[in-house]
Formats: sequence, C-alpha cells, structure tokens
Amino acid sequence: MKFVINKTDIRNILGKVQGITGRRTNLAITETVLIQAKSDTVKIAATDLETGFEGEYPATVESEGVIAINAKKLYEIVRDFPSEAIDVNEVENRWIEIGSGRIEYHIVGMNPDDFPEIPEIDDAPLFEMDSRSLKRMIEKTVIITGATDDNRAHINGIYLENIADDDEKMLKMVSTDGSRLSTVDYPYDKGECPIDKGILIPKKGLSEVLKFLGPEKTVQIGLKDTHFILKKENESFTIRLLEGEYPNYKDIIVRGAGHDIPVDRQLFLMVLKRMSILSSDNYKGVIFNFDDNLLTVRATNPEIGESKEEMAIEFNGEPVEAAFNPKYFIDTLGVIEDDTAMINLVSADKPCIVEGENDKSYLSIIMPMKI
Amino acid sequence: MDGYRKIIHIDMDAFYAAVEQRDRPELRGKPVIVGGDPRKRGVVAACSYEARRFGVHSALPGKIALRRCPHGIFLRPRFDVYRRVSAEIRDIFHEYSDLVEPLSLDEAFLDVTRNKKQIPSATITAECIRRDIRSRTGLTASAGISFNKFLAKVASDENKPDGITVVPPHAADQFIDRLAIRKFFGVGKATEEKMRAMGIRTGADLKRFRKEDLVRRFGKAGIYFHDIAHGRDHRPVNANRVRKSISKETTFSEDIEGRTPMVAVFERLAGEIEALVRAHDVYGMTLTIKIRYSDFRSITRSVTLEQPFRDAATMTAQACRLLDSTDAAGRRVRLLGMGISNFASQAPSGTCRQLHLPFVDASGQFQPETPWHG
Repeated sequence: MKFVINKTDIRNILGKVQGITGRRTNLAITETVLIQAKSDTVKIAATDLETGFEGEYPATVESEGVIAINAKKLYEIVRDFPSEAIDVNEVENRWIEIGSGRIEYHIVGMNPDDFPEIPEIDDAPLFEMDSRSLKRMIEKTVIITGATDDNRAHINGIYLENIADDDEKMLKMVSTDGSRLSTVDYPYDKGECPIDKGILIPKKGLSEVLKFLGPEKTVQIGLKDTHFILKKENESFTIRLLEGEYPNYKDIIVRGAGHDIPVDRQLFLMVLKRMSILSSDNYKGVIFNFDDNLLTVRATNPEIGESKEEMAIEFNGEPVEAAFNPKYFIDTLGVIEDDTAMINLVSADKPCIVEGENDKSYLSIIMPMKI
Repeated sequence: MDGYRKIIHIDMDAFYAAVEQRDRPELRGKPVIVGGDPRKRGVVAACSYEARRFGVHSALPGKIALRRCPHGIFLRPRFDVYRRVSAEIRDIFHEYSDLVEPLSLDEAFLDVTRNKKQIPSATITAECIRRDIRSRTGLTASAGISFNKFLAKVASDENKPDGITVVPPHAADQFIDRLAIRKFFGVGKATEEKMRAMGIRTGADLKRFRKEDLVRRFGKAGIYFHDIAHGRDHRPVNANRVRKSISKETTFSEDIEGRTPMVAVFERLAGEIEALVRAHDVYGMTLTIKIRYSDFRSITRSVTLEQPFRDAATMTAQACRLLDSTDAAGRRVRLLGMGISNFASQAPSGTCRQLHLPFVDASGQFQPETPWHG
C-alpha cells in the first residue's frame, strides 16, 4: 500500500480522533487508526468500541491496501512534518514508512484484520438537520457530566427524544448529572426523524462528534439497530446506545410556582465568577438572598474567608434564601444566548429553573444545596 | 446452594514472604521473615512456611523471631511491590464479581452468588480465581467457600497453604462444632481465656450457652458469638467498606523521654492522619492518643470535640492536652499513636450539601442516591 496525502488534511483528522483512540479499552488495536487506500481516496477509521468514526479523504494512491497504525504516534509524526504532503508506504508486511527522502519514519503496524468492525450504516433512514444547531445542542448538554465513577446510564448518556404531534415537531436533548438537568429543543418542519422513541447516547461519543461538526450546513442523523448514526458528506459516526431507563424528567420541571426573576446574564455571570474565588472542595455553596429588588450573594469559607456582593434585580415577592453551587449557574448562564436570563426560584429545596428571556429552546434546572 | 449466598474468602499464602521468594529465587525453600529490624524493635509482618516451622509467626517481636530462627533471612518489607501485586489480584477478583471486600493487601471476601462469568458453582469459581492468581502472579492463595463471611474466613485457614475448603450449609453445624474457639473471628487472647474459664473450648461448647448468658458475659459481642455459633452471619460483602477510624503509630528505636520530643511526634502523626482523612473525605469527632511505656504497659486517652475536625493543628493541640493529662512526659515511652474516629457524616457547619433532583422512577419510588462527588 502506498499513498500521498495532504499534510493539513491528515493532521486535522488525526488530531480529532485522538479522543477516540486515546480511550482505554481491552483491545490494543483500538489505539490505532485503520487506513484503507483505494482508487483516489483513503478511508480512515477509529473506534473505542462504543464510538466508531469513519472518514474518506482525497489522496494520490499509488497502490491499494490497508494498515492499522498507532494513532498517537502517527499524529505526532505528521503534526510537525516539514512538508505539505505526506508519503505513507507499507514497505513490507506491517512495516510502514512515513515520509521519504530526508525524513523517514518506519513504524510497526498492527494486523488490520484485528480492527473491530464498525457497523455499516448504508441503508439506515436518515434525518437531515442543521449542523450548527446540532453542534449547539451538544455543546449545551455535554457540559453536564457526572462523577467519573458514576456508571448510571442516565448520567453517562444524553437522552434524545423526537416529539412529534399535530402542532409541532421537535427533537429534544436532555442531560443530567443527578443534581442539575438541561434540555435543548430543535423544532423542525421538514422531514421525518427516524428516531421514534427516546434513546440514550453516551456523552463521551457526542463530545467526539462535536469536534467534527464544522462548516457544513447540514448533517444527517439516524438509528441503526442499537447505534446512533451521524453522517456528513465524507465522514460518519456510529455510537452504541446506552441501555437504561431515563427518569421522568418532565415531572420535575414545574412551572407557575415561585417568581420569575429577570437578571442581566453578563452581570450575574461576573458576580458568580467572583463568588467562586472562595469556593473549595468542602465549601462549594454560595448563598443567594432574594429580597426587595435586591439580590445578595454570599460565600463563606472558614478555610479562606468570606465575600459578599449585592446586585439590583426586579423582585418584589417574599424574601427567599437558597444556597447553590455557583459552577452550575456559571455553566448555564454561559450557554444561554439571550442578554437577560430568567430565574424561577421556588424555595431553598426545590429545583430552580433558569432559561433565556425570549429563547425558550434551552432550559436548565438546578437543585439548591442544603445549608 | 440454592437460596444461600456464595461467599469466597481468598487469603494469599504468606503473602509478603511469598512475593520476596518469587522475586528472588535464591530465597525459595528458605525461612524468610519480612518485618522491621530484628535487632531493634521491629515485628514480623509475614514469614515463609519454612520459617513457621521454627515457631515464627506474624506480629512476633523481631528479637524473638531471631532467637527462634537465627538462620532466618530477615528482610525489610517492600510495600510498594506488595501493593502492586495486591492490585493485580484485586483485578482478577473483579473479573468474577464486583462484590469484593478487601480486608487487607492479602485477603478479601467475594460474593459470587451472581458472578460475571455465570459459573454456577462457587467452588469452581474459587478454583478459577486461584488458578488465575497462580498463573498471573506466580503466587498461591487459599480459599474458603461458604454461605456467609464468618464460615468462609475460617474455612480458608483450614487447608493452608494452597488449599481450598468448602463448608456447604448442611455441613456448617458439624464444622462449627469441632472448631477451636480461638479460631472464631473476634476471639482474641483475653476472650479465649474467659471462654476457657466458662468451659468453652469449641464451637459445640459455645452453642450450649443461651444468648442472654453470652451477652451478660461479653456484652454486645455476645450476640455475635451466639449468632456465629449457630452459623448465622448476615453481614453482606461490602464493596465500599467505610473505615471507622484512621490512626497512625510509631515505635521508637530507642525510648523517648520528655514532653518536647513527644509533641514533635504527635505533630508528625497529625500531619499523616490529616492526609489520610482528607483522602477519605471525612471528618472526625473523636481524637485518641496511645502511649506505650518502656514496661510495655499501654494507655489510651481520648477526647470528643463539639465540631468535626480534620486539621493537623487541632489534632496536635488536643493530643498535647491529652498528653498532659497523663504522666508520660516524665517517663520513658516506646510507642506513641494517634487516631481519629467517630466520623461525622457531614462537614462542620457552614458547608452545604448538594441536593439531588427529585426523580421518581416508574414504580413511584425515589431513586436511590449515590454518593455525590461533584
């Protein structure tokens, strides 16, 4: 096998698959990328046994073939390679030469037959959606992750649901870590989405997808057996779904109780960032005091000290005091796109709703901390 | 064993000594004694079976071990190596079951009632585990198999080394009856003597006593003795065992005298304990110090504070107050120890606990909360 490929092309792809190939599995082969040279393209595949990636790129193929080569080493070699084109040549069985002339590497490949199969997606029905919207949806939901040793499916996965009734059709993504939950909507009017029931897609896999959602206008998504599929023109992902029940999240989104309090998103974000200066592992909580048109936020950390800030707000209900982990609000305010955020606080032990003033496609619920 | 749990107790044979013999073939077949310096005040941490023939056993003072086995090969422990091997063994356990309760580096309980490899027989599971340990670490382990932890643990000791003992439910009574009382877990020297005075030498003897009488004699432990004598031990194999205390102690190579050096020792111990307590993310309410005088007499003193604590400064200050309540400063002391216990489930006031979303599952039940690490 022998081919020449543009350095920038292969460098970008290899950079983006490192998250997949760098993940520990029981198989050493998953540290490699599978490279297939055929007519005038090379196909690059990577998998961590849960998330599979395949992409096809133009190349000058001198002789066809297939190799499996360590993804990290190949990336490091290619990244700083001082020429615009990279020669890859399997000089003999699994002995791979990279470069030619002045700079040459010889790398031992692995047996490409051992590379795990990535499910074929050719015949799966697909739904076309706006790529930028999907990217935003994933960005807004994958920021909520559980503890690394928490293996519960509803914490490790994003719930994707297709809500289609007579009035409206939309896709909804839901993400939670057990103490907060966010939902993002994607209303659509064209096409049929083949995802009929709610599915649980691993957050890890979606974070990998995020790296590939680029300038293209649309992408296609779908289901193939137990896999979520995402397809672009020359690249595709298959992510094995998680098995498990998703909690009935709609029940905990209670509207109508409490007060809607508008706050300036940027100002509030800055207050919270300053408040987190004093937070530590033991003292994460800050106390919010909503009083007559005044929000007082206090942080107390006996190991460091105290801080207090006041912020003018529109509020004339019964005073409420509640403690929160400021990081949760910072994450949420960071992805709200409106200038004004609406906070709906009921009491010190009930979920608090945070959303944009006008854009209701994103919503976050945050549980307080018990003082 | 339908309806019964399947519990395996795995105990590595002469673990530290066996690791040394594995890594240094010239030591094989020789009496290897791992522990502190025998000329000073070290104690035996482990010894090979060759050394046991001379009456050497773990926890024996090094000096006595040296007297009993003068040609023994005395080695200082290499705990980092033992920990690594122990982790390898633990990985093997987890290939069979996630219900693994390690008791120390070299022994653990496994509940294999439902195991990952769907092996119906606990005996075969134990043999597979022993085989894996042998082929992957080159070391031998003994296994006890029964339907509760007490019997599994006692059983693993029956055919040591490299042996296996099964106590099925129908054989439990007979097994307990002939069991010497000192083999009961929780029976130390003092209890054994008390029991001997009551005419209790075996499990069968113990069984003849009513629970009330045992409670009168041994307090709460009496209930436990009564239960295990009847083969009842419902303690689950706890994969996330919580420590009840954290302590550190140090034996001096030469006795120390005077308050200042003792305070310095407490300062150092407090620093070590704080690191451990933080690693376990708990707070203590009670601080205990232990003092062993040159005549081997030991005393402990403890204090319970109103606020949970875990900082070294508080521990040192309290330890000094406790020290001053004794006459230790004016005497020769061979060991000092410090420990904290009575762990507070929560941090001191002023900290907040993150609440969970009130998810309700299909059956209308709240979902069980798992510890939060966010």
